[in-house]
Amino acid sequence: MEVLQLILNGLMSGTILAVPAIGLTAIFAVLRFTNFALASHMTIGAFAGFVANVTLAWPIVPSLLAAFVVAGLVGVATDEVILKPFRAAGFITTAIGSIALTIALENCVRFIFGNQLRGYDLPIRRDWVIGGGLRVGPQQVENLVIAVIAMALLFAFLSFTRTGKAMRAVADNPMLASIKGINADMVARLVSFVAMGLAGLGGMLIGLDTTIDPLIGFKTILSIFAAAVVGGLGSLPGAVVGALVVGVGEELSLLFLSPAYRSAIGFLAILLVLTLRPRGILGARAY
Amino acid sequence: MTKTTRRTLLKGAAAISAAAAFPIRATAQGEPLKFGILTPLTGAGGQDGPRMLKAMQAVIDEVNKGGGVLGRKIESIVEDDQTNPEAAVRAARKLIEVNKVPVIMGTWASAVTSAVAPVCWESKTFLCTVSGADSITQLPHQGYLIRTQPTSKLQATSHAGFVAGMGHKKVAVIGIQAPFALATKEHLDNVLKTKGGSVVVHVIYEKDKPTYRSEIDQAMRANPDFLYLNGYAPDTVVVLRDLFKANINLPKFAQSYAVPQKTLDTIPPEVSTKLYTGQPSADIDSKAFTLAAQRLGMAEPDAYESQATDWASLVILTVAKAKEATGTALKDNVSKISQGSGQKVYSAVDGLKALAEGKEINYEGASGPCDFTDIGDIQGCRFRYMEVVDGKLKFLKIV
Repeated sequence: MEVLQLILNGLMSGTILAVPAIGLTAIFAVLRFTNFALASHMTIGAFAGFVANVTLAWPIVPSLLAAFVVAGLVGVATDEVILKPFRAAGFITTAIGSIALTIALENCVRFIFGNQLRGYDLPIRRDWVIGGGLRVGPQQVENLVIAVIAMALLFAFLSFTRTGKAMRAVADNPMLASIKGINADMVARLVSFVAMGLAGLGGMLIGLDTTIDPLIGFKTILSIFAAAVVGGLGSLPGAVVGALVVGVGEELSLLFLSPAYRSAIGFLAILLVLTLRPRGILGARAY
Repeated sequence: MTKTTRRTLLKGAAAISAAAAFPIRATAQGEPLKFGILTPLTGAGGQDGPRMLKAMQAVIDEVNKGGGVLGRKIESIVEDDQTNPEAAVRAARKLIEVNKVPVIMGTWASAVTSAVAPVCWESKTFLCTVSGADSITQLPHQGYLIRTQPTSKLQATSHAGFVAGMGHKKVAVIGIQAPFALATKEHLDNVLKTKGGSVVVHVIYEKDKPTYRSEIDQAMRANPDFLYLNGYAPDTVVVLRDLFKANINLPKFAQSYAVPQKTLDTIPPEVSTKLYTGQPSADIDSKAFTLAAQRLGMAEPDAYESQATDWASLVILTVAKAKEATGTALKDNVSKISQGSGQKVYSAVDGLKALAEGKEINYEGASGPCDFTDIGDIQGCRFRYMEVVDGKLKFLKIV
């Protein structure tokens, strides 16, 4: 029973990690670099949602939309102005640039909102007890549903719309896509918007279950990176699988390790997967 | 724009030559005294650092308004330690080597203080800290360090007495991975055992996790009747929320720095029921505490704001007593104004007056009596216990 509860807990936390992990991997698929500025966009989304929910007294779902849109727009702006010029200098330079960017943006949020912890205007509900004494939190189930809907919409967008197909084409073969007349700049902007929007959404989802402060993104970025790498950097379903593996793995480790070493599991998973299957569990195909 | 005339030029030249002739005297009257403030403005301590800075600045401003100390104004040079030992050491070196400060006040995390302390004593710079780990005052600091925060041992002993006093026997400790974690658990266990109880389980968790459900389940398997939450604010809030969700209604204790009122305001009141907090405290009717509250324009300064008030006051009074502002003078003279049979004073301004009248003084602080042992620890301290009722901290008692 303990094992089942741990697996359940792991699936819940994994699903929330999956949302920003998809963003990280989507940017890698199209723009070919790991954008660590995702961390500050999670923070920006969480705080945009906070302003919508607490200051403007919007309900949770519109606030989540606000988190998505604001983080997405900031993502497009920062990519266009700051990261785009880096790209010519190569993968490593851009990734390092994105770390600098994330620290700068995080401090902008700190400058505006200060350091203290904040919470959303949301009642906390007791866990539901499902069969056999297993417990699950209503908020976590709702987060799961929101995460699944967001992912389903993204996959539908990529599979069935012209723009979505264009994005996949650029991810698959940028040269060929450009010959076919696909505007790579437009696709880059779009992928930045969607990916950073997902990061913002993920930041707020984590905040709904805990509290928020400017470090909320930075605290989780390593687990998200681990999820994306384990699943196969560049593969969208891979990010989901990776997040679930990392989430469940961290929980199951509690059976034989002190909780103080929990994070080590995510990185052991990276080492293991990269050794046995260098391209990640699902490989690097974008979809 | 200032116009330079021949007359001002001549005056300036005269002043420069006078300064050259009497260099020491010229500096003493002209330049302000520089005090270093090194506190976490960002990182895990980012919630406390800015408030400590404000409290120190308030004391310094008050003294400056009254004419300063030794006839000089005080200027504070502020650096951010980022709650990061490496950044803190760089900032401390800058304060010592570039700004030539005799004192650094404000380090918060034990890891940061452990890193900065050697830089300070090697350069004969005085260090005032709030870090609680027992090991800090055991460093070979030769007196260049004082700590106003009670040691882990003093704290755990008082907390254990409080918990046992409520009749609880089986205590679960759920705490963050930190230098004080193990020591606190052991001191708690030792004291509880003398009162017929014990620590039945000790779960150490990792910081920055979005949930601690599994850790709580692990602690609950030992069937405790009381929970001792030994973390910082961001993680303690998560633990409290998870306890509520899991329908666990046991009474619980947390350090007051982990659940300040601002943090309690972020969670619904039902989550913080049966929660007790404790913090080092001055006497309830302490004049220094009331003065600090007035100076800061708030009802009740917390333990950190009180301690920061005390550092600034102690340093200023020691400088006045020693009649010089060097780290060595601070080290040698601090106990002459912090303890003893002199007239009790409750603020830097009052103390300066008494010293000017040629009296001996004993500074009684906002955080406690501020009497130090040979290794820079406070000798004893009262603890202020509070209970959270409807999401608000309510005073319970002072022990």
